[in-house]
Amino acid sequence: MSLSRRSFVQTVGVGTAGLWITSRGREGSLFAQGIQPVQGPAPSIILSSNENPLGTHKDVLAAIRTSAFPEAGRYPFATAAEVTALVAKKHGVKPENVLLGCGSTQLLRTCTHVFTTKTAGLVAAIPAYEECADYARLMGHPITGVKLRPSDLKMDLDALQQASKGAGLVFYCNPNNPVATAISGSDTRTYLSTLMKASPSTTVLVDEAYFEYGTMPGYETMIPLAVDNPRVVVARTFSKCFGMAGIRIGFAIGHKDTIAKMAAWDGVGDINVMALEGAKAALAVPDAWVTAEQKRNEAARSFTQKWFADRGYTPTDSQTNFMFINVKRPAREFRDACLKEGVLIGRDFPPYEKTHVRISVGSMEEMQKAVQVFEHALSQPAKAA
Amino acid sequence: MSLTRRRLFQRLSTPVQSAHGEWIAARGREAGMMEYGEQGMAQGAKPIRIASNENPLGPGQHVLDAIVGKFPEAHRYPFNAKQTEGALITDIAKRYSAKNENVLLGPGSGEILTHAVRAFTSPTKPLVTAWPSFENPRDTAKKIGTPVREVGFDGKLRIDIAKMVEASKGAGLVFFCNPNNPTATVHGHSAVADMVKAIRAASPDTMILIDEAYHDYVTDPSYTSAIDIALATPNVFVTRTFSKAYGMAGLRAGYAIGHAPTVKAVQAFKMPYGLSTLTLGGTIVGLADQAHIDAEQKRNTAVKAFTVKAFADMGVTGTDSQANFLFMDIKRPAAGFRDACRAAGVQVGRDFPPFEKTHCRVSIGTMEEMQKAVEVFKKVLGSTTTTSSKDRQ
Repeated sequence: MSLSRRSFVQTVGVGTAGLWITSRGREGSLFAQGIQPVQGPAPSIILSSNENPLGTHKDVLAAIRTSAFPEAGRYPFATAAEVTALVAKKHGVKPENVLLGCGSTQLLRTCTHVFTTKTAGLVAAIPAYEECADYARLMGHPITGVKLRPSDLKMDLDALQQASKGAGLVFYCNPNNPVATAISGSDTRTYLSTLMKASPSTTVLVDEAYFEYGTMPGYETMIPLAVDNPRVVVARTFSKCFGMAGIRIGFAIGHKDTIAKMAAWDGVGDINVMALEGAKAALAVPDAWVTAEQKRNEAARSFTQKWFADRGYTPTDSQTNFMFINVKRPAREFRDACLKEGVLIGRDFPPYEKTHVRISVGSMEEMQKAVQVFEHALSQPAKAA
Repeated sequence: MSLTRRRLFQRLSTPVQSAHGEWIAARGREAGMMEYGEQGMAQGAKPIRIASNENPLGPGQHVLDAIVGKFPEAHRYPFNAKQTEGALITDIAKRYSAKNENVLLGPGSGEILTHAVRAFTSPTKPLVTAWPSFENPRDTAKKIGTPVREVGFDGKLRIDIAKMVEASKGAGLVFFCNPNNPTATVHGHSAVADMVKAIRAASPDTMILIDEAYHDYVTDPSYTSAIDIALATPNVFVTRTFSKAYGMAGLRAGYAIGHAPTVKAVQAFKMPYGLSTLTLGGTIVGLADQAHIDAEQKRNTAVKAFTVKAFADMGVTGTDSQANFLFMDIKRPAAGFRDACRAAGVQVGRDFPPFEKTHCRVSIGTMEEMQKAVEVFKKVLGSTTTTSSKDRQ
């Protein structure tokens, strides 16, 4: 990362910001150009990108064959309108409250484009998912990073509140990637209502990419609030729970005026018909299946978190399909040791790259194998701390 | 595509809903508004969709099979797939004897056009475009406060190159759509090469974007792609799409080729992993099968000839189409013609000012579709009524 890039980052809270390394942007730009992240044989267990290890939901794949293939030669705008209406119906809102995106990635960029300026910048926890920061940097809009609470690696809402005043956009990733922690609905609402009064021109983007995996009592969606409040937008994705990361579709829900502003900048033309037909099928999947998927993830997550905790390596309170664990050694050291035995885990997440690793939750079978690899990796004394 | 499969598709297709929102207007003006709504259409019959310059056959079976082959990787992000964007970039670069650094991908060429306008124009660096032409660059310029210089046509509705050169002085970007949508006309390779030289002499810092979306349908012997010019000349780049002859408009993939600094400047704006893993699998296989594209060109040429002759028999002529659509002088407002056709189950192109009082754009469907469409055109054009449209755009 260049110095010029870092210079955009101001730090609020204790100590220095450390490095603000791009996440998806980094992975995207490195990997997209054909530079493979891994040399040698491909890993047999991939726990690096917070994907659903079971694959894409079968109804999604069936819909791609039966409904998307016949329309593959056509521009899918009509289907986009259908999916918009179905998302609205599912969440009890109107189509005017919904904007689809080519993954939530597109919507995060759109929000950053529409709501930040060269004077009213972006505010986000550090670390948080970096798409908005990457885009703000591209546009030359200022970025303020707010450190997490050291005790539990949750967002520091007091510091965030302070930093948010005068911001164009606050990126509020809940649960937060990469640290896996979540903020309760009541705390989020308090933060939002205080901010709405204190900073009348700030918009808050609540990213709920991992919503389906949140199990903490009191965790809730901000969709009902966003629909009525022109300054709050919620982003969701089909990439995680439904196993559609490779297919590319997500959506934003907000007040109709806010959605209209976003849509005026970027439309639905980048979304492919397989994603659209797949999303239709995913929206029809019974809630009971989603609950079962949540339980499956939670079981594999608990098993792995307990395994680490029993050995003195503390995980955060994960509300997602990944874990953030203090392995008391540089992430790189642990990651390289795991990769030698065929397990790929997450990249560095500054400022925690000296101590913490992000590990996605695979299937129970994968995690049972993976912990044996983790055992080997941790049996080596840490070279540098 | 075989008849059997088409019948199967017709059975499986779900009817198009009519609801749509305002957000369509920005990018989906063409496909969105035209393909939409079946209000005003004959009930029951499946509409003939000849409004959005799509390949009516869709992608080949080899492409669909390749997509099915990617199903086991659909839950992984595209950068974790066995074939990443890098694999498609490598194949495209090889095809044109270029390097990977010369190639940029987008989810359709639309995203690339948008980002080219963002990268190379500003309130002090105008966009030059023929008008009417593909509207994405002009729409983007208006959104970001870039002035637009519009250039007209010669007597054959070919882009007026002399005026294009003149307008380029001090411009940030020249957008040159060749063949041009909606006029369907093309300029030959030497004319394009001369234009590039003249613009570079008149305005050395101006970027030149040559959009060859309809490249695979051109039959004019004076035409060849400008990719050789783009690879040999700084500040020139070419866009291509899989949406037309490749039949993949729904899969969303396109690319640009040019000098590395140009590609890099546009790439800065590229959305991460906008191309799906499934799309990548399909395009890689599609790109490798040139025979399929050659056959599609022949098919289109034959159906186009049939349609042009049928119009001529009605006394209606158009431009020299080098694409998969026609721009016909129907000597009456497009709106009335369009509404009447739609009522009879045929969807044709939208208004293209300043030609909306006289010309209509008609895409080329299958032979069977065009035979039916021509019967509708005969009835509509034979009628004296030219009621104006209620939903004029």
